[in-house]
Amino acid sequence: MNKRFKSGLLTSLNPTRYNLERWSYTLHRITGVILALFLIAHIFEIYHVTLGIAGWNQTIAELSNLGVFELIGMWIIAGSALYHGANGLRLILNELFGLLLGKPRLPEYPYSPMSLGRNQKIVIYAITIIVVAIWIWAGLYLLAGLGIVRW
Amino acid sequence: MLLMYALGLIMIFVLTFHLLLVSPLTGKTFAEALSYNYVLHNLTYYQIIFGILLYAATIHGLNGFRIVLIEWLHLNKYQWVINSVIVVLMAILLAFGTYTLIVL
Repeated sequence: MNKRFKSGLLTSLNPTRYNLERWSYTLHRITGVILALFLIAHIFEIYHVTLGIAGWNQTIAELSNLGVFELIGMWIIAGSALYHGANGLRLILNELFGLLLGKPRLPEYPYSPMSLGRNQKIVIYAITIIVVAIWIWAGLYLLAGLGIVRW
Repeated sequence: MLLMYALGLIMIFVLTFHLLLVSPLTGKTFAEALSYNYVLHNLTYYQIIFGILLYAATIHGLNGFRIVLIEWLHLNKYQWVINSVIVVLMAILLAFGTYTLIVL
């Protein structure tokens, strides 16, 4: 693994030097990888239903042994699914149907990305607020399972 | 990419339905939503919806993972290794998932 390769890998994960769209791109990728890995585990987990009630209860008991880590994991996955879905819908509107992008214009100094107009910014901020609100709600629901919060 | 958009669009509806089934809106606690009878009922009663979700999620998820790996790792000569591993993994997951849905 050479130096250039390493720096490329880290730079691709670092949105801080870029604009809002880069943040959503990076988050979309990270949440996507989390969900893909979870999907593999989830399909094998659900397969245990075929082993009958004893097999299923044993699987759930083994997962419950993780205690608070199971809930943190579930919370991260819930947040990932919410963000990936909401941002994915924005990308479909954006890239597939060409909505929210504004009209094309000649580049003028100081240069700003044409794809990131007022509509895009509103939608990205709205997605963030809605996702965080539902994510907190989901967190309280998971905490209620531990008896920490009364649902 | 069109495949990813199409499957993503399908999943927005199907996955929302799946998440609603285990959400507080059903009036169940998290433990109740994971009980054997409830899971079995959902998987058999909504078999087709879960089937659509299984295929859409597996293809969308693993294809996305493949794209991320190829773009991150730059292993141009060995792309076929990643592609082959993903295809095999996809086949295994679909086999397990389909078996689960059919046998219940």
